[in-house]
Amino acid sequence: MVKVAEAGVQEEVPSIEKPHETPSDWEPNILAFACHYCAFAAADLAGVMRLSYPASVKVVRLPCTGKLDYIHILHAFEKGVDGVFVAG
Amino acid sequence: MQAKRDEKERIAMIVGKQKPFEEIWEMIKSFKKVLVFGCNTCVAICHAGGGKEAEILASLIRMKAAQEDISMEVKHAAIERQCEPEFFEHVADELRASDVVLSLACGVGVNFLSDRTGDTPAYPGINTEFFGAVEKAGIFKELCAGCGGCILHLTGGICPVARCSKSIMNGPCGGTSDGKCEISQDVDCAWYLIVERMKKLGTLEKLSEIMLPKDWSTGLYGGPRRVVLEHIAEEGKES
Repeated sequence: MVKVAEAGVQEEVPSIEKPHETPSDWEPNILAFACHYCAFAAADLAGVMRLSYPASVKVVRLPCTGKLDYIHILHAFEKGVDGVFVAG
Repeated sequence: MQAKRDEKERIAMIVGKQKPFEEIWEMIKSFKKVLVFGCNTCVAICHAGGGKEAEILASLIRMKAAQEDISMEVKHAAIERQCEPEFFEHVADELRASDVVLSLACGVGVNFLSDRTGDTPAYPGINTEFFGAVEKAGIFKELCAGCGGCILHLTGGICPVARCSKSIMNGPCGGTSDGKCEISQDVDCAWYLIVERMKKLGTLEKLSEIMLPKDWSTGLYGGPRRVVLEHIAEEGKES
């Protein structure tokens, strides 16, 4: 039986940056995928220790980084992040 | 779903390998609306052309297009099999609305699809390799060449057509060495395997029988092939 979700065509508007000059004050946007049980817990601990990290880093918590598929990383780049950090 | 997939992984299938990205890009870069179209059976098992791979490839194409400053709409879709008409219903409009369909099915699928896309061309995104089996995760092995004249009952269940580098019927040849073929130490000598297997089965004497030369016309050497099941195809005869 055909699964409708798979047969359907995904509508998506990409927002990929075109190549351009890098401004001197540029900071990369980093998306971090962190495992709930280790890296995210470590980040929590870092927070308790009042350590800080740049606001341009966004953290996504995963139950396990084994769940991270290629497409999630590619989507992140398509949406314009400059780097993906996977910790688990 | 998992049970279904496990079942698929036990069966032999068509094995394919995705084409290099640059080759794909050259094929499609002049089109404005691209549909990357996966096939969720054989080529999904070998991680070359399923819905998942179609989604990944569509993403890569979108990023390449942005880098090259080319305006291109790239979508992805997949159906269970691109070699049977029933599965095309859901995507028929989408196929025709595209400027090009990049099919990730095997060559059979691309041919079959091409008849169903109207004025839209269907291009291949993978190279179809062979009929194979999943030896273990990530390793696919050619075991049948589809020659149309099976002799596995005479060769201990090991096919000399597909698995002997020369497809010879009276091996092993002089190139066999310690059970390996002269073309590579990584390739088993099929005739060595056949002899050892038949010894184990106690059927080695079968190899002493004189056989007629193999009829290669049942293979592709005899032109394109077709199988008709008359008791099933009866209805379609008139249409």
